[in-house]
Amino acid sequence: MSERLLEVKDLSIEIATRRGPATIVDGIDLHVDKGETLGIVGESGCGKSLTMLSLVRLLPNKIRVSNGTAAFAGRDLLQLSSRELREVRGGKIGFVFQDPMTSLNPVMKIGEQLIEPLLYHREMSKAEARKRAGELLRLVGIPGAEQRLDSYPHELSGGMRQRVMIAIGLACEPELLIADEPTTALDVTIQAQIVDLVKDLRKRLGMSVVWITHDLALIAGLADRICVLYAGTVVEDAPVEQLFAEPAHPYTRGLLASIPRMDGEDAERLNSIGGTPPEPGRRPAGCPFAPRCPMAQEICRTTVPELQPLRGETTPHRVACHVANRVLEAA
Amino acid sequence: MTAQPAIAPLAAADDATVSLWRDAWTRLSRNKLAVASLAVIAILALVAIFGPWLTPYDFLSQDLEARNLSPNWAHPFGTDELGRDVFSRVIYGTRTAFVVAIVVTGIAATLGVVLGAVAGYFGGLIDRFVMWCTDTTMSVPQLLLVVVINASLKPPLVNFMEAQYELTRNPFFRNSIIVDFVLVFGSMALILWPPYARLIRAQVLSIRNRPYVTAARALGLSTPIIISRYVIPNSIGPLIVAISAGLGNAMVLESAFSFLGVGVNPPIPSWGNMISDGLQVWRNHAHLLAAPAIVLGLATVAFSFLGDGLNDALNPKGSK
Amino acid sequence: MSTALLRIENLRKHFPVRLGAFGEKQAVVHALDDVSFEIAEGETLSLVGESGCGKSTTGFAILNLHKPTSGRVVYKGEDIAVFDEKRMRPIRRDLQIVFQDPYSTLNPRMTVGEAVGEPILFHKLATRAELPGRIERLLGDVGLNARFAQRYPHELSGGQRQRVAIARALACEPRFIVCDEAISALDVSIQAQIINLLVDLQAKYGLTYLFIAHDLAVVRHISDRVGVMYLGRFAELGTRQQVFSNPLHPYTKALMSAVPEADPVAERTRQRQILTGDVPSPLDPPSGCRFHTRCPIAMEQCRSVVPEWHDRGAGHFVACHAVAG
Repeated sequence: MSERLLEVKDLSIEIATRRGPATIVDGIDLHVDKGETLGIVGESGCGKSLTMLSLVRLLPNKIRVSNGTAAFAGRDLLQLSSRELREVRGGKIGFVFQDPMTSLNPVMKIGEQLIEPLLYHREMSKAEARKRAGELLRLVGIPGAEQRLDSYPHELSGGMRQRVMIAIGLACEPELLIADEPTTALDVTIQAQIVDLVKDLRKRLGMSVVWITHDLALIAGLADRICVLYAGTVVEDAPVEQLFAEPAHPYTRGLLASIPRMDGEDAERLNSIGGTPPEPGRRPAGCPFAPRCPMAQEICRTTVPELQPLRGETTPHRVACHVANRVLEAA
Repeated sequence: MTAQPAIAPLAAADDATVSLWRDAWTRLSRNKLAVASLAVIAILALVAIFGPWLTPYDFLSQDLEARNLSPNWAHPFGTDELGRDVFSRVIYGTRTAFVVAIVVTGIAATLGVVLGAVAGYFGGLIDRFVMWCTDTTMSVPQLLLVVVINASLKPPLVNFMEAQYELTRNPFFRNSIIVDFVLVFGSMALILWPPYARLIRAQVLSIRNRPYVTAARALGLSTPIIISRYVIPNSIGPLIVAISAGLGNAMVLESAFSFLGVGVNPPIPSWGNMISDGLQVWRNHAHLLAAPAIVLGLATVAFSFLGDGLNDALNPKGSK
Repeated sequence: MSTALLRIENLRKHFPVRLGAFGEKQAVVHALDDVSFEIAEGETLSLVGESGCGKSTTGFAILNLHKPTSGRVVYKGEDIAVFDEKRMRPIRRDLQIVFQDPYSTLNPRMTVGEAVGEPILFHKLATRAELPGRIERLLGDVGLNARFAQRYPHELSGGQRQRVAIARALACEPRFIVCDEAISALDVSIQAQIINLLVDLQAKYGLTYLFIAHDLAVVRHISDRVGVMYLGRFAELGTRQQVFSNPLHPYTKALMSAVPEADPVAERTRQRQILTGDVPSPLDPPSGCRFHTRCPIAMEQCRSVVPEWHDRGAGHFVACHAVAG
């Protein structure tokens, strides 16, 4: 149907602890098509950020990829030399991080921070790069863009800083923009501005976007497809409408039921999921969600479920659950 | 009446829980370098305490027949140019080093903690004055300050002592060694207190605004309880680390001053003045330099590794 | 509506700050200006708004954790805003708070049992002999096993710590709890647990909540009444029904419109009204109506005249020139 841009296969990440390596990400399979927006949803510690950081080898100390491949435009990102990797970082893949307050260098003017990747990746002259930087700031909707090039980060508001971060991420016209909770630190009216901006830019520039978030409501209006992560595995992967209309994994159902709605009836109680996610190194033997799952069977406690198409081979809706069919019947 | 939990009680994963201090001790004891350092320090401390019973010779007794001997069975570290036993002198030097380090660090830390806490807690003009004092002290070169204090205060003090002795015939005033120690303690404490003051002030400032202190206020707890149960226990870790490193630092400083002749003066043995003496003859009698220098090096390295180990042990967040 | 537990009158909080490299410029942060409302016994009143709107400051000022610059906080017929720490102490038993960040509101050097037991002993609500039983019951109340009493905060997850913080607030047997962004730092599935817990505890002990949050969906779920704040002032105040079904103030409308819906089909067709620009600095708030710089329907008088706090009937208050007429 459409062309694969990124295909991650069987990716595992482990952390070194005193008791030896502990798995944080356990055999993740996911892909991004050209021009597609993929939402990666999960709670803190589920490995959603680490998965994306591992692609460009930006993992923190003591954390390393232990297995897997990540084909990006035909090449395995995990096998690149450091020189090839630098071309990819910021060049082919742009990053926007969560905290716009700390992700910008406070002692550099934002113009310089924008120009830097252009000089490096595009080998532009300084004057060209500066002109392009001005265009980029206009593109992300910063008023008085040319004058703003000489501002320092602290002179901008949080929303404006996040726009600058996006401009830096877009500077080299990447094929893939990875946004890691870019609106979590922002107010809701500013969040709406940023979401609209990214939607608009995607349409205009035709790039693919991976948007990492914990907020299902936010991603509903933004993504084409959603991967739900739990304890370092993909538990469900489906086109956005299908995921919300017909969630097949008990965890996805639990998440959807636990968010209060703006429209629905006044429910007396929220359906919360009991318990807490497993810590790395204390993963249960079978399905990682089994200890919290209301529908868990014997097989769930012993055998790890595979990520499989929901009904037959043709649907793009995949779920990793032994009892998925029963979950759908119960709905 | 029994409580109706909102959801099923979450079971604690494991019941064996240890206090933070014991936890810190466990972490420290897992750190081989820190344990080795602790052992070295313990041995040196025992040597310092039991020095008089350990020394085979009086540190002052000269044996002109046996000058500049290399290490042998009778004199494990050899003898110096006056025929004094170097091993005995190193042991007494250890005493000097420990006494100076403990007293000086004690004075400096007490002064620093009190001034720093006052500055941090009350803020305003008091804070500015104390910080001005620390800045001023720290901006003057340490050696220069000590030299100036010694040079300007020592002669009048010695004269004063002599005059008092003439007047009272009290033998206390005949001993000019006291002047030495008072001046060394005083001047070193004077240059060493500002870091403690800064540390404690920063601790108090940050802890005073921690949410758990606000939470304690919101519970209606009184100020003394908040200070004793919230502020102090949370600032003591960094202080212990600083004191451990400070003890080693004080030993080096004492040796440096004695080496330069502004610290403890001969004939009181100090590693510093032994190194100074040994340096003049090191080509022919290397042991005179090596013995005190190696012990000094060992002591300071031990204190610094112990400080590192304590830092890791007391800050579980940093190591996790 | 039942009787007022707390009456807040013209509450104002200004923080002086120093600016410039040498602190040579003095300025004032207008964190809270002229705020008046009542909190009824047993209700959940929520305050919503964006960062810097003064909602947390309101909570802190009511509890006298930040001394108000002016205004009154009337509790049991007395103005507690002027009380010093010593006179506040017995009152703090009744008026409690749960903070946002469960990682930093617990003393790392105290076990859960010590933390929960401390206020009980301090306020002499139980003898030492009764204490373990009391702690166990409080931990049970918040859904924690009694064995947690021996543990330290760093051994707990975020949700568990927040439960401990709630148990600690409950230890004083309060009538009123300020929940200052108490669920904002938690994961979605844990949030739902804590919200349910708060609702259960309210029913069990007849608590009154001042629920401070920025998540409108959560506020809609939990509140009886809702106050919308903008830059230190109230924009709108009413029952949940009034504010969510019939928002009057243009800021309330914009806020509602910015909240994403967990429904991809509706999101695709939804017409959103997105505010442009940022919230102005509270150092130099706009004259007149503070929202006029971003308001889609601002008129001439909005720039100069502060809109009056206007009752549109049935306790639905709004401060806007455009809807007052």
